[in-house]
This record gives sequence, structure tokens and C-alpha cells, in this order.
Amino acid sequence: MSDEEHQFESKADAGASKTYPQQAGTIRKNGYIVIKGRPCKVVEVSTSKTGKHGHAKCHFVAIDIFTAKKLEDIVPSSHNCDVPHVNRTDYQLIDISEDGFVSLLTENGNTKDDLKLPTDENLLAQIKAGFEEGKDLVVSVMSAMGEEQICALKDIGPK
Amino acid sequence: MHQAGYNQNCAPPDMAKLQATMRAIELACSSIQMHANPSAAEATILSLNQSPQPYQACQFILENSQLANARFLAAGAIRDAAIREWAFLEADYKKSLIRFCWLFIMKHAGSPEGYVQSKVASVAAQLLKRGWLDFTVAEKEAIFLEVKQAVTGSHIVDVQLVGINFLESLVSEFSPSTSTAMGLPREFHEQCRTSLEMDYIKEFYCWAQYAALNVSHRITGSDTAIPEVKVCSAALRLMLQILNWDFRAKKKAVESSKRGLDVYCGEIKQESNFLGRSECILVQPGSSWCDVLISSGHVGWLLNLYGALRKKFSCEGYWIDCPLAVSARKLIVQFCSITGTIFPSDSGYMHGQYLVQLLSGIIQWIEPPDAVLKAIECGRSESELLDGCRALLSMATVSKPLVFDQLLKSLRPYGTLTLLSVLMSEVIKCLMENLSEEETWSWVARDILLDTWTAFLMHLDGSGHNDMLPAEGISAASNLFAIIVQSELKAASTSAFSDENEYDNLHASIAAMDERLSSYALIARAASSATIPFLTTLFSECVTRLHQGRGTSDPTETLEELYSLLLIAGHVLADEGQGETPLVPKDIQAQFTDVVDADKHPVVILSGSIIRFAEQSLDPEMRTSFFSPRLMEAVIWFLARWSSTYLMPPEENKGNKSGCENYSNAQLRSEHSKNALLSFFGEYNQGKLVLDIIIRISLTTLVSYPGEKDLQGLTCYQLLHGLVRRKNVIAHLVSLDSWRDLANVFANERGLFSLNATHQRSLAETLALSASGMKTSEASNEYIKSLTSHMTANLVALSCKNDFKNIAQQPDILLLVSCLLERLRGVASASEPRIQKAIYEMGFTVMNPILIFLEAYKHESVVVYLLLKFVVHWVDGQIIYLEARETAAAVDFCMRLLRLYSSHNIGKISVSLSNSLRSEADTERYKDLRALLQLLANLCSKDLVDFASEPLEAYGVSISQVVFMGLHIVTPLITSELLKYPKLCHSYFSLLSHMLEVYPEIVAQLNNEAFVHIAETLDFGLHHQDGEVVDLSLRALKALASYHYKEKGMGKVGLGSHATSYKHPGGKVQEGVLSRFLCSLLHLLLFEDYSNDLVSSAADALFPLVLCEQSVYQNLVNELLERQANQMFRLRLTNALQSLTNSNNLSTTLDRVNFQRFRKNLHSFLIEVRGFLQTI
Repeated sequence: MSDEEHQFESKADAGASKTYPQQAGTIRKNGYIVIKGRPCKVVEVSTSKTGKHGHAKCHFVAIDIFTAKKLEDIVPSSHNCDVPHVNRTDYQLIDISEDGFVSLLTENGNTKDDLKLPTDENLLAQIKAGFEEGKDLVVSVMSAMGEEQICALKDIGPK
Repeated sequence: MHQAGYNQNCAPPDMAKLQATMRAIELACSSIQMHANPSAAEATILSLNQSPQPYQACQFILENSQLANARFLAAGAIRDAAIREWAFLEADYKKSLIRFCWLFIMKHAGSPEGYVQSKVASVAAQLLKRGWLDFTVAEKEAIFLEVKQAVTGSHIVDVQLVGINFLESLVSEFSPSTSTAMGLPREFHEQCRTSLEMDYIKEFYCWAQYAALNVSHRITGSDTAIPEVKVCSAALRLMLQILNWDFRAKKKAVESSKRGLDVYCGEIKQESNFLGRSECILVQPGSSWCDVLISSGHVGWLLNLYGALRKKFSCEGYWIDCPLAVSARKLIVQFCSITGTIFPSDSGYMHGQYLVQLLSGIIQWIEPPDAVLKAIECGRSESELLDGCRALLSMATVSKPLVFDQLLKSLRPYGTLTLLSVLMSEVIKCLMENLSEEETWSWVARDILLDTWTAFLMHLDGSGHNDMLPAEGISAASNLFAIIVQSELKAASTSAFSDENEYDNLHASIAAMDERLSSYALIARAASSATIPFLTTLFSECVTRLHQGRGTSDPTETLEELYSLLLIAGHVLADEGQGETPLVPKDIQAQFTDVVDADKHPVVILSGSIIRFAEQSLDPEMRTSFFSPRLMEAVIWFLARWSSTYLMPPEENKGNKSGCENYSNAQLRSEHSKNALLSFFGEYNQGKLVLDIIIRISLTTLVSYPGEKDLQGLTCYQLLHGLVRRKNVIAHLVSLDSWRDLANVFANERGLFSLNATHQRSLAETLALSASGMKTSEASNEYIKSLTSHMTANLVALSCKNDFKNIAQQPDILLLVSCLLERLRGVASASEPRIQKAIYEMGFTVMNPILIFLEAYKHESVVVYLLLKFVVHWVDGQIIYLEARETAAAVDFCMRLLRLYSSHNIGKISVSLSNSLRSEADTERYKDLRALLQLLANLCSKDLVDFASEPLEAYGVSISQVVFMGLHIVTPLITSELLKYPKLCHSYFSLLSHMLEVYPEIVAQLNNEAFVHIAETLDFGLHHQDGEVVDLSLRALKALASYHYKEKGMGKVGLGSHATSYKHPGGKVQEGVLSRFLCSLLHLLLFEDYSNDLVSSAADALFPLVLCEQSVYQNLVNELLERQANQMFRLRLTNALQSLTNSNNLSTTLDRVNFQRFRKNLHSFLIEVRGFLQTI
């Protein structure tokens, strides 16, 4: 077997592309997909055929990762779908301003101040309470296709 | 309400009160009907049912009320009250109640309110059954004398009907499957059943027979419906009911020794197993019934009666589905199923005569088939035909195959099989004409007839001698099969353009057709010398048509026909393996004895033409024009099924020459033709060539059908996986260029990344499994290395990239990583001792990358799960073989993995706006944790089985410490929410209790926090609703307490500070863990609900706990006694507690004998006290 001929090189320029093409048949449940221009997480995939002796097609049910709206799509399974580049970054929470924006500490020591508090009540309450108690909080920020949102919280111990 | 008024059993009747009660009940009845205040009405009626001794009031209502509903309810109330109060009622009063009911129905014979009559009759039957074992024979005789007179002596239609109805209720009440519950043990019902069968049921039958006989001449003599018709059909119904009785007489002789045990395990079950799916129930009343059913000319009479009825169907009041005709036909069909010792042992002569007689009557219903079916198409009722088919099914079930065929010979110039074949052909023709209609009568007829064939052919199969089937039978089968195939093909081509979703999937369509197809296959195999060449011809015709129409016409219909043909041929040629290696079907082996040249063997020709056709799919042009994914699915399915039987069969080498000397000429020839067939596709003949073709076709489906998951799944799971299961195939597989191509494409090219991930895993496993076909272990390891090196190198290179953290989330990288991990997981699960080295190295190389990936993909649960699963499989396959040094490395790696996972997940709150995503996230965590627990359990196994040459301790590794450490890391992640997943809960508790049982000494060394966690978990487990979890916790508890007690006995510390109670500086008392468990276990045993199965393991845990904490136990006992206010109870409790710890020579050592004694003590203690302790 030849080892040298084929290297799986990725055309890696980080963050350059917002989406990548991927064959529909390879997209699994819990994977990501773009439907109607929105980044989604797939919750259900089923396959069927176009006519008895036709080709397979995939039926996706997916949920918008930012708005939680349900979207569906049908794609021939040999065709390509867009898959969003979903990134999650952890930041330490520095401050919560009165207008609902948060101030986050980035890895290289700068601050990031353009994110709002999340709308989810549970998470919001946890962040506020933890912050007031003076805990060291790390938030995860999910970003895809130019949108960003705080999606998780971790308590790394009191100050 | 007038509740007080009901209780008047002994008092003189108070007319006014009775009247009032009746009016109240009548009012309640009508208000329920009008929906006016139903709850109050229900309460009134309920109060009648529940009041003590309401008999007089009820009887009064029955006799006087004008309202039928009220009478109905009164009868029910008598029944309820009498069953409830039976033990207190006087013997005479019981009899008088039954007599009252009987007189009531006699008196009101012919009343238009039939439902009241049958209710009262059933009440009488139930009361009679309730007292059945108390009443003397004379008392029963007296009752039945009146019934007999009513049925046989009266000649008044209504009275006869009353008698028959009463007997019907009685028989159904005494048959366990239809009896009403009476709150009595099963044995009671069983005794009643036996008694009735022994002493009465035949008599009942004779009465019914007599009644029917007596009126039958009047029925045959009149042209219009006369009242006697009712009596006759009721009598026939009763006879049918009695013949449906589950007779036990047949096995009394055998089982008399163990009567009373296993009252419900009938013989019928085994029989129906043998019969497969046919619904025919055998009637085996035993030899005592011979005079009534067989030798009395009873059958002739019934057939004549029905024959006479048939002529009257045009008259007024009679028609083909009139109740009398229906009952008569049902009874005739039931007669067909009679078998067993009722026939004398004259090698079936009398049984045969009996069946011929029946057949002579039944044949008029189904013959001539074409005319009968035409009449049905024109609107005649189909019930006679269907009953005829059922009768044939029964006959095929009860008689030997050849006897069955002979039956008709005495009436017609041809045998039963020919009739069956012609009849079924006609039915199938009808089906073909009405394809679009759903579930018509012809479907039913076809299924019954198919069952008949199956019953017949399965018998044949059981006797093992196929050549006994006469030539006429063979041609009948082959004619029928031709029609069947024709109809299936027509169905296929007409449905080719329909777009029904449920038939899209091959699995679904096979499952739906499988039963039918395997019956078809039985028929085909019975005549395989004709049917297999027939299939070959059809197949080549289809293929030719396909080629001729190329480019000019739409091939879809032909494709669909080919699809069906492939499925049929697959079923005919080979059996489903179901994990075993299927043999060439017996029928096919036994035929074709005259074939000398293997390449002229019909099976070889058919297989060959299908394989050649399949091979055409390798040509890209042919592929795009003909080989649709669906057709390809059938091709792959066929190849998988066919190859497991015919490709390099294991027996081709042996038995070739041995013992041939003793064979006769004919046997020699058959042996020769069988060997010719077996060796044709064998290792030393065409086998290798065909194997090569199959592999190349597989590669094509994987590469050239992008996105066809089902097709590729079939290829990976059924075809390829089936091939590598067989040693002699693997040996040739690895030497094939095509297999090396497949391995190369898989390992080194991008193409197969587009396969579904689980298919990639399966393919990796298959490829790795084939390594055992290599001649030497070095070659195997080398092969695995070349298979995996490129993949591992890729993972290592990725993980070393500086910017990996930034690019990790890119979809293409994500896809690459997860595909590679799936593949490694597949390889890891193919672990075998022979390739262990190579797989260890594979895992060792990616250890670091895995930790890097776990960090980078901590938010990507799919990847995390893959990582964990890979490690689980890898450790599972490796751990017991590893040398101490390697084990140390593996264990260290696992611990780092656990810590890293835990640090990512402890205290994390993820939020998702969508409910389904949230529950998805829960499931993911559950799966992760389950994988981690599996990992720990796998590590545990190293302590049980270890093939290493030097002890682990040399490297400072102790498996038990490692696993406890692992548990300590994992436990905080397991929330009570997650323990609601039963699988996770089970694996967690079984791991925990295993650890505590095997290594209690490590627990003693745990720090306080870890120990508290374990104690809390055990407490949680103790109160879990799942019995198994409680049991596991109890076992853990027993281990802890026993350890502590034994250590203390030797003067050591045992659990040390964990077990001792002490005062916190703040004054709070910290209880020792053992005394805490003693308390909660006692509380559980005495006051809470639990299954009795747990008492033994609870005893095992309680005993050492009591020994450890004797003073605590004494305090608890005193407390318990003080709380008991009732003197009598307190005395009982004191004695019971006393004997719990003192009886049975219980001593204070923890050995088997003592544990056993304590178990016994606890059982009797709980029986003694639990009843009153719980109610208080």
C-alpha cells in the first residue's frame, strides 16, 4: 500500500470559510447542516428513494442552533450540502454591564465586549447569580456563519 | 337509599321493603339509560351488589320487575354476593340459589329478553362451579337430570334451547381459558375442569347430539324455516364448543404421577410450535370418545344434514351463511382435526377411512375449483370455499403426507395434492385479476392453502424422505409454483411505478414477503427438478428482454421483475443462516441424482446465470442503464444468502470417499451428484473465481453508488461480514487482488470517506478480521499495520498541527477525524490474539492525539463519544494480553482520559433553547458515562484474567486502585437524573458492588469525601425501585460489613474511622456508616414495600451489620418494642425478634452455614411480624 500518494490535506485557512460542502449521505444525526441559510443541528435523518428504481435522498429535520426553530430539507444523498463551521470558544467572564452586554477576557489578554447576555432564563439566572457571588465563571460562546451566542457556563471555583 | 332493607335473609319477607328496593333499582336503571345523574344511579346499584345477603331482594326483583335491565342487575348481584359469602352460606341455601336460577330460566323459556336469560344461566353455572367440589355426586346428578330432560326429553323448542344454553355456559365456565375469576387458586379451577371432563362432558355431547338428531329429519323434511332449526344450530354450537375443549385425557396415563403440578402446561403449545404458523388446533379427546364420534355414524349424519341443507339454500329461510349452515360447517371442519388415541392403533386405517368420508362431503364445496370461484366472483358467498380450505388444512395437519395425498384417490382418479394445486392455482389467478383490491377473500384462501402446503411439506421434511412424493404430487407442486411465480412477477411489474414508501426498503419488503416466500420455496423445492430450470428460464428471459429494450424502452418493469425473481431464487436455493452456517437444503440435495456433470446441474446453472448477470454491474455503462440501487440491493442480498450456503461449503472435503463401499448403486449416484454440486463452487474449483467476482461487485457498490446507505449497509453487514465469518473463505480472500484493492482503497484513498460512518466502522472490522486468513502471525500483524498505519499517521499529523485548535471545528476536519476514529474503533473491535500486537501499537500511537482531540472537541459530543468508544473497545480487546509495562502505559492513559473528561464536564451547564436538543444532550452524557463505566469494567477484567509474563505490581500499578480512582472521577458526573437511565444505573451499580465485594480493603483507604459519596450511592441504591439495583447494593453492603467484622475479629481497624461514630466539635453526632445502614435496612425490611425475592440478599447484608453493631441493634429493637402499644402484638414482636437472632443455632461467625440459618430466620421473622407492623 502506498502511503505517500494521498495525503488528506485540508485547505486549511482558519475561519476563512463559513461553510463547507459535504455529501448529504454522510451527514449524521447530531451533525450540522445549513438549511435555508441557517446553521442547524440535525435531529433526524431518514432516507427514501425517488421512485422504486431511483436514487436515494435524505430527509433532514434540523434545529437552528441560534433560534431553536425547526427546519426541514430533502436532498439527494449523493449531492453536497453546506455544513456550517460551528466554533465554540471559552472566555472568562469579567463583567456584566447594565445594558445587558458582557465583557469577556480573550486568550491573548484583550477583552471582548460585543456579546449580549443569553436570552435563556435558566442560563441567564445562573450567570447573574454566579457573577454576583463572585465566582470565577467561564462561558462558552458558540459562533457560526457570523452569529455568536453564549451557550454554556462553567464554574471553575470561587475567587 | 334502602340499604338496610337488603339484609333479610332469615327475616320474614317484608313486602313493602322489597317493593321499595325494586323501585329504587328500577329507577337507577332507567336513569342510567337516560344519562340522568349516572353517578348516583351507579352508587345505588353498587350498594345492592355489595350489601350483605341481598338474595331475597334480588329474587324478588327477578320475579316481579317489569324492567329487563333491573332483572339483569339483580342476577349479577346474586352472583357477586354468593361468591363473596359462599363460605358462610348454608349448604341447603346454596343449592336453593342454583335451583332458583334454573327454575327461573325454565319458567321464562322463550322470553324475548335473551340477555337476562343467559345472565341467569351463567349465574347458575358459576354457582354450580363454586360448589362443585362440595356437592355430592347425587346432588349433581339431581341437577343434571333436569337439564337432560330439558334438552332431550321435552321436545319443546324453547325448553330445549334453555337447556342447551345452560350447558354452554357451564362448559365455558369450566374451561380455564374462559372461566370467570372467583378469587380461588388455580388448582380449584383445574380440579373442576378435570372432574367435568372425566364425568360429564361426553354426556353433554350425547345430549346435544340426541337433540340435534331428533329435529334433523323435521328440518330436512320442510321447505321453510321451522323453529326446530334454532335447536339444531344451538346443539351443533354446543358440540363444537365441547370439541374445542382442551382434552387432557390423552396425557393422563403419562402424567398421572405428577398430577397437580404444572396445571397449565398443556401439550397444545408444543404441538403448535411444531406446526409453525398454521392456526389449526388439534382435537384429541382420547379413546373413550370413539363410540360417540367415530363408530356411531355421527359424521355421516352431519354430512347428510349439511348436504340436505345445501339443496335448500334457494328456499326461504335457508342460505349459505344461515346460522345452521355455519355451525354445521364449523363442526365438520372441527371433525377434520380429530386425531390421537381416539382412533384404534390399526396403522391409521380407520383414521384414513374417517377422513375419506369427511372429504367426500367437503369436496362438493370446492370442486370443480374454477366453477366454484367463478360463482364467488359473481356474488356467491365465499364462506363455503374458505371452510373447505380450512378442512384441507386440518386434514394435512393430522395425517401423514402420503396418506393425505391418497385420501382423494378413493373418490377421484387423482390425489389430494393435485386438487390442492389446482384449487390454489385458481385462487392465485383470481388474486392476479384483482391485484389492486385490498385483503379480499382470495387473500384469505391463499394464506390458508399456503399453510396447508406448509403443513404437508413440513411433515414430509420431518420424515426426511422426499423421494416418497409421487410423481403426480411433484407435477402438482411444480404447476402451482409456476402460477405462483407468474403472479408474483405480474404483481411486481404492475407495482413498478407505484411509489409506496413502505416497500422502498429492501428489509421491509423482505420481512413482509419472507414468510410467504419461504412457503413458496418449500413448494418449489418439493419439485426442484422442474422448478429450478423454470426459474433459470424466466431469469434469462428477463435479462434478454432487458438487453433487447436497451435504450429504446423504459426497463423499470423488467427491473422490478428481476428484483422479485432474485428474492424468490434466493429463498428457493438457500436457507437463512441466522448466524449458523446453513447447509444445502435437503430437498435440493436429494434430487438430481441423475446429474453427472456438475456444470449441467440445474442449481449450478441457475446460480451461474445470476452471478454472471451480477457481474455485468461491473461495467459502468451497464451499471448506469440497468443496475438501479434497488436491483443492486437484491443482487447483494442474493449473493450474501447464496454464498453462505454454496460458496466453499465446509463439508466438500470430508465424506467424499469414506463409507462409500456400503452404498447401493442409487445411493452412490445421489452421493456423487451431491458432491458435484458442493464442490463446483468449492475451494478447488470455481469458488475462488466467484469470490473474486463478489468482492469486485462489493467494491463497486461501495464506490459507485454514492449515498445509497441501504445498499452499502447490505454490502458491509450481510455480504462482506458474512464472508469473513468463515475460515476457509478468509484463507482465499486475503490472497485475492480484489481484496487487496478493497483494503488499499479503504486505507489509503479518500473515496470511502463518503460512506456512512458506521459502515466504515464495519468495513474496518471486516478487513481486520480477514487478517486471520494469513498464513503466519507476522503476516497478519504486518497486514493490520499496513491497514492502519496511514490512518494513525494522519491522526498524529493532525494533532501535531500548530493551528489545530483553530481548524479543529472546521466541518471537513471534523468529518475526517470522526471517520478515522470510527475506523480505528472497527479495527479495535476485531481484536484477536493473533493480531493483538499490531492493534496494541495502533492504539499506542494515537494515545496522545486522542487526549488532544478530547481537549479540542470537548464541545463536540459526537467526537467525544467516538473517542471514548474507541478506547473502550481497544482496552477490551487488549487488556488481558498486555505485559506489565504496556498495561502501565494503557492504565495511565485511561486515567488521563478520565481526568480530562471529568474536568471538562464537572459543573458545566449547557443550555439549549430547544427541548429536543436538550434531551439529546442528556442522552449524549448518558452514553458517555456508560462508555466510561465500560472502560473501568474492562480494566477490572485484568485482575481476573491476565496473560502477562510478569506481575503488574513490578510497575507499581494496582488495578483495584486505578479503578477506584476512576470511580472517584466518574461518580461526581453521575447525577441522580442520569441514574434514571436503567442501563447506566445497572452498569454503575454492578461495577460498584463488584469493586466493594472484591476489594473492600481499598474502601477503607479512601478519603472521607470519596467514602461518603460511595455510602450515599449505596443508600440511593437501597431505595431504588429496580430490584436488581437493590440487590447489587445489598451485596455491596454485605461485603463491606463482613470485611469490617472479620478485620475487627483479627484485631485490625477494618473500615476504621468510616465505621465509628464520633462527635463533631460543634456537638453534632456523626454516625458510623455501618450503624446508619443497619437502621435504614431494618426500616426498609419492616416498613417499606419490596419484592420478596430480595429477602435473602437483605438477610445476607443484615447479618454482618447486626454483628458489627450489636449495641446499636439492641437500641433499635428496644425502640421498636416501646413503640408497640398493643400488648398482644408486642408479645409477638418480642418473641419474633428473639428467635430472629437465637433460633436455628445461629452463632457469630460469618460462614455459609450461618448465613443460611439467618436467611431462614429472617424469612420466618418477616412472615410473623410484617403483616401487623405495616398496617399500623
